[in-house]
Amino acid sequence: MSPRLSQSPSQPLSVNPPVWEHQVETTRPKTILHIDADAFFASVEQGFVPALRHRPVIVGGTEDQRGVVHTASYDARKQGVYTGMPLRQAKKMVPDAVFLKGDFEHYKAVSQIFENIYYQFTPVIEMTSLDDAYLDLTGTLKVHGKTPAELARIIQQKVYRAVGVTVSCGVGSAKFIARIASGVNKPNGITSVAAGTELEFLRPLPVEELPGIGPRARESLHQLGVFTISELAVVPKAVLMQRFGVNGRKFWEFANGTDSREIKQRDLPKQISRETGFEEDVSDQELVFEVLHYLTERIGKKLREDGLVAKTVSIKVEYSDHKRTIKARSLPESTASTDAIFRMVSTLLRETPLRRLRVHRVGLAVSKIDCLNLQAELFTETSRRETIEATMDKIRQRFGFTSIMPASQINLQKHYRMEKSGYVLHAPALTR
Amino acid sequence: MSYEEIHESIEVITFFEQGKLHPLRFKWQGEVYKISRVNSSWSVQEGLSRQYHFSVTANTPDCFELVFDTADFNWKLARVYLEG
Repeated sequence: MSPRLSQSPSQPLSVNPPVWEHQVETTRPKTILHIDADAFFASVEQGFVPALRHRPVIVGGTEDQRGVVHTASYDARKQGVYTGMPLRQAKKMVPDAVFLKGDFEHYKAVSQIFENIYYQFTPVIEMTSLDDAYLDLTGTLKVHGKTPAELARIIQQKVYRAVGVTVSCGVGSAKFIARIASGVNKPNGITSVAAGTELEFLRPLPVEELPGIGPRARESLHQLGVFTISELAVVPKAVLMQRFGVNGRKFWEFANGTDSREIKQRDLPKQISRETGFEEDVSDQELVFEVLHYLTERIGKKLREDGLVAKTVSIKVEYSDHKRTIKARSLPESTASTDAIFRMVSTLLRETPLRRLRVHRVGLAVSKIDCLNLQAELFTETSRRETIEATMDKIRQRFGFTSIMPASQINLQKHYRMEKSGYVLHAPALTR
Repeated sequence: MSYEEIHESIEVITFFEQGKLHPLRFKWQGEVYKISRVNSSWSVQEGLSRQYHFSVTANTPDCFELVFDTADFNWKLARVYLEG
């Protein structure tokens, strides 16, 4: 409805406030659809190569490699394989499984296809990861003239036809209800929780079904004698807040069917990390240094691509005895500069106490991420480096990531296959 | 079932139709394979060029992944999925 205007230009404009359609509709319960791909990486591989369907597929590395299972297909899961299991153990458990390194670019392309399909149903989408999304159908249900479950079925069919991947869907009046519902009937299932029946749906479920309740919080709740969501709902909010801080309030609200979180079209990541193992444990410090430099290049590019900056840098070095050293420090100011991040990485690496052991795995993460502040400092040395990096980004955008590389990373060619999009790192090869 | 990484250049007879690519036959190591079915495809932007990945079944029980790169209009056989 449009605001009423006075007819005569000589008269003042009416001061009646405009009443917009969406303001009227705020009382209507929301319809949120949560979509989660089933065993995503493995399903993408099975969708691409039909011969892999109905076979145990394990993504994470080849069977003779060291490393762990990243994703196992449902056929492999039935035989006891789980995410994080060493690949060699998985091979012993399921000798006929097909082991794949995985291809992050492939998964990203499939995720883009998912997103394009979702946009046919609503403009309000939150992609929380490559395979996981929330769709707010509240405003578009009438347009489609179908129930949420019918729309979910159509989406499932479209996704399967496009990429051969099955997805599970949950419908609810809030994000967490939809999320829990999507996990009820996997794979390829649809679970709808009608408005007004949320508490009935939640009550019998174990507490760990709620978002944010991990193994530690679950243990803590079990110590209180709280096992199900119905039991959690009657615990005084103050007790939960005393035990879990601000999260305690969230747990109480979730248990009582409340979730005020909106669908965010874009959310800032808490952390961006890249890590890789080596074909064999290495004692060559220079190689460790070069790999960390390469990982820094990848993170810097990601930050700049997404218009983000990060303040804290942390490195992880895992030795052949599987003990890890993690060092973290904040930069003087948030940055997206590869150079600034790598200087901190070098400092942290120098400060890492040397052990007389070979290095098994290295990783790098940046956190305290924020949006790029456009009012960056002028006339500083960093602006020159940023210009170089921006130019490198442009060259890479045109000719591929490996078209321009720091000389220090050329040696990596001896250890990894170089493709246009980057080096194919050792398991997991999903670190590109 | 197992697979082998190949990454070798190959010759491919391709049909272009309305902006779409349809690989029909390919020659690898002197042998010609007639493509009976394109199972699936995906593409990725690599700089200014685009790479098209195809999963195809030929006149053998095996499955092949072919890659077409618009940078040099070159086809490659990326990997072979072997039955048995």
